[in-house]
Amino acid sequence: MNKTQDSRPETQVTNYQLPITSYQSPGLRLNKCRQIRAWLRNAIRNYLGPDADWVQDHIGNCPRCHRRFVSVGKINLALSLVKSQPHKPDLLMRANSQAIGVLKHSLREAPKAQKLKSMRPEPKLLEICSMHKSSATNIAACIAILFLMKTSIFSFMDTFQAQGQKAVRQYYVNHVGEDLANDIFGS
Amino acid sequence: MLDKAVGYGLIWDLGVCETVDKSQQWILSAMQRHGPELVTILWRILGNEQDVCDAYQSTFLQLAHCWSGGKPEHTKAYMFRTASNVAVSILRRRLAERERLSAAIVDKADVSPPANELDSKYLQERLRCCIARLPEHLRNVITLRDLAELSYAQIGRMLGISAATARVYRCKAIQLLSLWMNKEERDRL
Repeated sequence: MNKTQDSRPETQVTNYQLPITSYQSPGLRLNKCRQIRAWLRNAIRNYLGPDADWVQDHIGNCPRCHRRFVSVGKINLALSLVKSQPHKPDLLMRANSQAIGVLKHSLREAPKAQKLKSMRPEPKLLEICSMHKSSATNIAACIAILFLMKTSIFSFMDTFQAQGQKAVRQYYVNHVGEDLANDIFGS
Repeated sequence: MLDKAVGYGLIWDLGVCETVDKSQQWILSAMQRHGPELVTILWRILGNEQDVCDAYQSTFLQLAHCWSGGKPEHTKAYMFRTASNVAVSILRRRLAERERLSAAIVDKADVSPPANELDSKYLQERLRCCIARLPEHLRNVITLRDLAELSYAQIGRMLGISAATARVYRCKAIQLLSLWMNKEERDRL
């Protein structure tokens, strides 16, 4: 009677799901589904993709597949060549000017139109961020070290050292006597 | 009386003009927002700056005059598809013109492919020729995926198909392109 909707059996295993050990929120489950999908995709790509060993072996021995593989590679190469050719930086400006020239007078005279006529392509935020990726990583690493110094890890190291010293001192006390141990450890 | 009527008419005209101006401001906003991407895709399809400017102009002209001057529901999709179609038309016209000229000036058998097959310009031109020959549904996908670098999900939304279908179309397009490029190569040899 008192069972709520959230209560679930301790372990659920179906033929398509991984075991759910305890109740998980929908967001968490969605994340897990996404992870599994990505994992499956990678596994399939690794085993059935063009880079898989058995595929490469076959391509090496079969002239027909070899020809096909080479021709697809050539298309990909041509596509990358097309993408790698940059245009002049003022092309956007010229294209905007030409396009605005055929719009109606009221649009041609708008302040925005004047701005567009002198517009140049700007890198996207992601591209700008990727340029500073390494320096951002370095800064993040420094901050992490500082944080660790300030908090747990270094204080833990100190405690560990003190405990070790205490154990060694106890060993000396037991075996050579307290006086000698005090002389050695200076207390 | 006449003066008054003319005066009211001018005021009315000014009012209408301002309304139209405001209602079509979205064209400039669309140009600002999607212009750089459009120029990039047009440049990749055409590879010629003057043609890029012409195709860009035609795209915005069509955008301004379609839907009776109103804004289409999916502006980006409309712009990308229009730009792609205009660019392919220009490309086809250019290729036809080139073929006609080359047939008139020199015998085709005299034109040999460059010694270095990996000559980038030659390869790019051949690819552009083959893309222009592709059926529309395959061409749209290859243009949006490989030249505009959009995701399959975005392409699906733009073309009204699923992402998986877009993936299949791209695969078919690549197969056709490789077949045609190989055939061309064999014919020349």
